[in-house]
Amino acid sequence: MRTKCLAWTLIAPTALFVLAMTVLPLGYSLVTSFEEFRLGRPPVFTGLQNFHKLLQDTNFHSSLVTTLIFSVVATGVEFVLGLALALLLKEEFPFHGVIRSSLIIPMVIAPVVVGIIWRLLYNADVGLFSFVMQALTGESVSVLSSTVLALPALILVDIWEWTPFMFLILLAGIQSLPQEPFEAARVDGASSWNVFVHLTLPMLRPVILVAVLIRALDAFTVFDQVFVLTQGGPGTATEVATLMIYKTAFRFSQFGYGAAMAVALGVLVACFSTAVTRAFRGSV
Amino acid sequence: MPRLRFMLILLALVITLLPVYWMVNTSLKTQVEVFTSPPTLWPENPTLRNYTGLFTHRHLGKYLLNSIVIAGSAALLSLAIGSLAAYALARFGKDLGQQRLNFWVLAPRMIPPVALVVPLFLILQKIGLINKQLGLILVYTAFNLPFVAWMMRSFFQEIPVDLEEAAMVDGASRLRSFRDIVLPLVSPGMAATAIFSLIITYNEFFFALILTSTPAAATLPVGTAALIGKTQTLYGEMAAAGVVAAVPLVIFALLVQRHLVRGLTMGAVK
Repeated sequence: MRTKCLAWTLIAPTALFVLAMTVLPLGYSLVTSFEEFRLGRPPVFTGLQNFHKLLQDTNFHSSLVTTLIFSVVATGVEFVLGLALALLLKEEFPFHGVIRSSLIIPMVIAPVVVGIIWRLLYNADVGLFSFVMQALTGESVSVLSSTVLALPALILVDIWEWTPFMFLILLAGIQSLPQEPFEAARVDGASSWNVFVHLTLPMLRPVILVAVLIRALDAFTVFDQVFVLTQGGPGTATEVATLMIYKTAFRFSQFGYGAAMAVALGVLVACFSTAVTRAFRGSV
Repeated sequence: MPRLRFMLILLALVITLLPVYWMVNTSLKTQVEVFTSPPTLWPENPTLRNYTGLFTHRHLGKYLLNSIVIAGSAALLSLAIGSLAAYALARFGKDLGQQRLNFWVLAPRMIPPVALVVPLFLILQKIGLINKQLGLILVYTAFNLPFVAWMMRSFFQEIPVDLEEAAMVDGASRLRSFRDIVLPLVSPGMAATAIFSLIITYNEFFFALILTSTPAAATLPVGTAALIGKTQTLYGEMAAAGVVAAVPLVIFALLVQRHLVRGLTMGAVK
């Protein structure tokens, strides 16, 4: 009984802080989502009106689709490239440490700075990327102001920034696998492809789940790089959900409607992560 | 086969480092050289004018100071508070219902930041902490806490309970055995956790953008993003600001490399 008392005393400050800064605001968001709440006017309860509007708001739907395309493509490519890199670098070789450290640089740089880096590369006047593209195709393209190319360009930035994350976690996972099954497979003369498909991948499943889930959750709420690179444009070609909610709440001061969108996004994210976790568990 | 492997690794290195190099390269060029075509691969007349300009008339020093004060305070505060909880989770977790606690520690990570930012803005505005260092410190401390508690828990678990119990059998109080035995052993883990908190909060942009606005409290990412709008085609200055914001972090991250995986997955993968 005394230890239990001590334990709760030690946990209490953390619990209070988290309650005050996440659970309380989340509750506030829920309440606000049922209100007509504009800056400078008292909030008015309007029931399900915001959510009703949400169902018919094609801009919001298209921002969800943009977010989904962004997240799925980016996370998928990052996973494949990260796994390939991890397999390439799993054995020791000269300069191993230096190479590993260099490869993780993109993900420790602030997303805003990553935005700057790619602004410099994509820029039509001075950008290296544009210069190379022009040399190859003979045309001057301003990647970020093209409705077709802007989203792929943002996805490329995300891949550059976060492939190192997949690589690092998958590498740690591969290196911590027990050696015996691999030795047995070698004795039996299994091909390296068979070893990869029937041993490495299944044994790596829990690590893959963690890496993909963390990455996908962050991709769903991407904001910083989009804000710095395109602000959602041209038009609404790259308007991801978080950016649209930000604009609704803080540029157009519609707190109630913004909160309703945020709640909807939260529910979708929760459903998604539950589904992914179930799918992974179910297919073991 | 070894040759192919070597080529692929080299390719990955070039793709990773070239964009970063390009920022450093641009930051050292004069405004005229930035616009030469074809672009020069290294600055022909290297200059630091882009950097000095940022500090003399773009408030970059103030933004940097805000970032250090805010990220530093939040890291220390969350380490102090979160370590207590971590110790309790590591030692008495079983008595408290582990599953339920896991959920409560990890669930906040699943909430999209945008669902919290509207109410936090309204609350901070009401109590006069909008565009104040203290406001952002409190918010960041709260966001660091689940992470700190979780990561420190895994460090505490690595210290055998026997060590503490032996000290307590010898007559030391729990507090004393914690202070003299556990704390020294866990301090490298504490340092790594603190640096992680620093990295996360120093790079954070979304909350800082909404909860701060002027050089009085705005952090480096906010200041840098604002600069993009103001400088228009002064790519040299933009690049220099990026370098200033990135350098401390790259150094920090290299320091905690050994713990990077554990930190990124909140202890799920070691």
